[in-house]
Amino acid sequence: MKRSSLLFAALCLTAVAISAPTARAAGTVKIGVLMPLTGNAAAAGQAAKAAIEVATDIVNNAHPELGNLPLAATAGLPNLGGAKIDVVFVDHQGNPSTAQQLATQLITQDKVNALLGAYQSSCTFTATPVAERYGIPFMVGDSAALNITTRGFKYVFRATPIATDYARTYMRFFADMKKQGKKIDSIAIVNENTDYGTSVGDAIEAEAKKDNMPVAIRIPYSASSTDVSAQVLQLKEKNPDVVIFISYTADSILYMKTMKSLDYKPQMILGDDSGFSDPSFIPAINDIAQGVMNRSAWAIGKPGSTTDEINQMYKAKTGRDLDDTSARNMQAFFALADAINRAGSTDPEKIRTALAATDLKPDQLMMGYQGIKYDSTGQNILAATYLIQLQGKQYQLVWPETAATAALQWPMRGAAQ
Amino acid sequence: MVGVQVIVGGLLLGAIYALFSSGLTLIWGMMNFINFAHGEFVMLGMYVALLVVTWLGGGPAVFAVAAAAALFALGVGLYSSLIRHVIRGPLLAQILSTFGLALLLRYTAFLVFSANFVSLPPTALAGTIKVAGIFLPVAQLVAGAAALILTIALHILLTRTTVGSKLLAVAEDRAAAMLMGIRPDHMQALAWGLSAGAAGIAGALMATAYPWSPSVGETFSLIAFVVVALGGFGSVLGSLYAGLIVGLIQAVSAFWLGAIYKDIVVYGLFVVLLWLRPQGLMGRT
Amino acid sequence: MRQTFGLRAIALLLAAGLLLYPVVFTDPFYRDVGVTFLLAAISASAWNIVGGYAGQVSVGHSMFFGLGAYAPLLVYNLWGWPPIAGVPFGIALAISLALVIGMPTFRLTGHYFSMATLAVAELIRIFAGTWGLVGAAIGLQGPATGRAWWDLTFRSELPYYYIFLGVLALLLATTAIIENRRFGFYLRAIKASERAARNLGVPARRIKMMALALSAAFTSVAGSLYVVKTGFIDPDSGFGILVSVQMVIVAALGGAGTLLGPLVGALILVPLQTATNTWFGGSGSGLTYILYGGIIVLIARFEPGGLSELWPRLLPRLWKRAHAA
Repeated sequence: MKRSSLLFAALCLTAVAISAPTARAAGTVKIGVLMPLTGNAAAAGQAAKAAIEVATDIVNNAHPELGNLPLAATAGLPNLGGAKIDVVFVDHQGNPSTAQQLATQLITQDKVNALLGAYQSSCTFTATPVAERYGIPFMVGDSAALNITTRGFKYVFRATPIATDYARTYMRFFADMKKQGKKIDSIAIVNENTDYGTSVGDAIEAEAKKDNMPVAIRIPYSASSTDVSAQVLQLKEKNPDVVIFISYTADSILYMKTMKSLDYKPQMILGDDSGFSDPSFIPAINDIAQGVMNRSAWAIGKPGSTTDEINQMYKAKTGRDLDDTSARNMQAFFALADAINRAGSTDPEKIRTALAATDLKPDQLMMGYQGIKYDSTGQNILAATYLIQLQGKQYQLVWPETAATAALQWPMRGAAQ
Repeated sequence: MVGVQVIVGGLLLGAIYALFSSGLTLIWGMMNFINFAHGEFVMLGMYVALLVVTWLGGGPAVFAVAAAAALFALGVGLYSSLIRHVIRGPLLAQILSTFGLALLLRYTAFLVFSANFVSLPPTALAGTIKVAGIFLPVAQLVAGAAALILTIALHILLTRTTVGSKLLAVAEDRAAAMLMGIRPDHMQALAWGLSAGAAGIAGALMATAYPWSPSVGETFSLIAFVVVALGGFGSVLGSLYAGLIVGLIQAVSAFWLGAIYKDIVVYGLFVVLLWLRPQGLMGRT
Repeated sequence: MRQTFGLRAIALLLAAGLLLYPVVFTDPFYRDVGVTFLLAAISASAWNIVGGYAGQVSVGHSMFFGLGAYAPLLVYNLWGWPPIAGVPFGIALAISLALVIGMPTFRLTGHYFSMATLAVAELIRIFAGTWGLVGAAIGLQGPATGRAWWDLTFRSELPYYYIFLGVLALLLATTAIIENRRFGFYLRAIKASERAARNLGVPARRIKMMALALSAAFTSVAGSLYVVKTGFIDPDSGFGILVSVQMVIVAALGGAGTLLGPLVGALILVPLQTATNTWFGGSGSGLTYILYGGIIVLIARFEPGGLSELWPRLLPRLWKRAHAA
């Protein structure tokens, strides 16, 4: 009895001894993260939260195995005397007005040094002006709407590629395929009709027009549809060579299943991330939609690579592979942490200056961007994306060829043999 | 040919709409009670199906019955613990209670199953049969047929059996029913059980074709409201017709007008119909 | 007599509390919560005129809220006018819509009216999401930084607070006046039994129509206030079903058909929402809504008439206890 209580006391003391110096050594840097942790986009918000928690672990603790990734090898932020990053998560529930209120709360009550968020463009629209008003840097992790960065804000930065980048990538890919003799005479655009699908769909349609690529049909639809046979029949009738889907999770799975059951298979299906990157997607459709392509700037990579290590950490935490949407949020977090470290201070003005001066090279990134460098609006001009293809039970990087890890299969196979 | 395919698809979908809406019309019509949590019953039916498939295995018959049974129990339980007390209160208290209930059920599922999307593993119902150039997905065919049979069975139960007469008697005049020796609470608990059970089985059938997450209920609630109001409150047969019509209109307008207009057409027709025939298709004046 | 005196004292205390709140709580976040509370109270009080007093339970009031919210940003985006100039347009549109809706739907009673309003609101929401002029799915933004004071984009929450408070006072004063006029009696007669009211010569349809128009106008103003404060509107935050439901819940929770019921409802619901989200939101476990939903269920179960019905029952008891002590 006595012994065990002694042991307990000793354990407590060690715990205190271990935790005390790290917690108080160099103060902390606070980053507020706004995500939809409940509501309709909860799945994406929760995944992004887990990814940012992994990223925090990577920055705060020594991870020499992660190669050139800035701040991984050291514990904490070296230029701030090894200060740790303390992340405060809040749930804006997908409600723009709540997002605005929470941004105020994070800035004035939690005294965060920077913000990251907010998934839905609507919530980013209302949260960023608060940050601008208080002069707190706001890193947009993943919001599609183009005009988030075109409002003349000084404190808003976006590391992720945006709709026009994706659209251009697709057009370059099509041009490349045509050069190889593949037949792409027309495409179809199928987009869910909220801000994400509409932004990306519009961008693709505009770029296709520029490239003289005929758009056989454009089908906007509601992501909560319980049945998509009518849309699939429309596609079947127009019979385009490539169908681009800008879809969320349930609807993208539903499309694949419905196309299978209505016996329709175009030359190629190209998913625009989101639903196609949801970890629920592959197991649901992998025996009926072999060869389906997807946009992603994230690739798990070869065993032992930095990206593979990161994926292992994420998988240990959540039991699922890291998806592109969450990975882009994670990359945004790293870019923000790197800027704070270079600022050498928690002063928002200095962080802003450091962010504006960001110049990260491809080997310092976990994503397949050509780098991170912001233009005067705060948009990353070196953002790029890969195209990946479902082969077996995993996506393989197939385009651009310089980065490819597997050969592209064209046309897509559909059902697994 | 494409036209026939569109119509067949719409009718198959409509049959499912009819099944989960018939549950709503049962209590809405009989107790004059709006249940905002009805879509959540469908959602829970889907998760019950998933649990049964992953833990016990078994085909659609097994998990559909399990979902019906589990939701029947939930319906009866909710009636005796909550609904019984608010049912004679003001309309607004009823709205409050079921709206709160919807949140409670949705986020309990969220807590237990996480926000991630899930689908049923491929069942015996995968695959498609082709009849005269028309593709019939087996899952939807079975679900549609089952929905049709169950909805008609529910209708027969209400109109042709003693239990049905008792249920209707309670709905008509509670006091008089009591004088006839019927125990209203038992009957209404049964109605709630049947209502939730029908939603549960519809959920299980939907799950064979449709991936979902805890927030899926909202979609079903809205559809069910329209179907019930269109069919006429309290008329199971009305909700069968209305379900088929809504499914058909959605499919046809999505194909010929475009998918985003399908709900505009449904709601638009609904408003016009309410204006012309406020008692619904089969409702009593 | 004593009871009304007690209520009046409480009302005075409430007014003083509301006036002083931002002076006591200077933290921007608390002030922002105050603004949210006022907005919820305004919307629910506006809904209350037709939903509470006249007993016509609309589940689609977001259609008026959305019109009021879109109009200011529309005039700003189209012509560069200050958003506030859109408010009269919003009111006019809302009243017109109320008349168009009211004519057919007031032939319907009970649930049919509720369902019709729900369907019309959904119709408008989907339509707004497809219409490019109003920003389609992406929505409309206000001025990011105000060009002058008349853009009403303030750095501080304080001006919003007092503008909102002023509108709430106006709305409650209007409601209080109606309560004691013939109009108010007609409304309650219709609520109690429309058939009986008609037989006694109450022009039921016209009265209901007037109530709906008045309610729509104030709901539209609530939408305008929302958008002036947040600077952004999209179909879901303007016309979404949750916007409508929130109004119903707030009013029902406090006590529909009473002057201060919606205020009481907002006073309970908004802090409850904020607190649960602050405590549990970051964990992302969904506990926020489990608690929130649970409390709503409990109130519906044990106080079906709304919480403001508690006062008249509690007050005499408290009074007695105070005198006994």
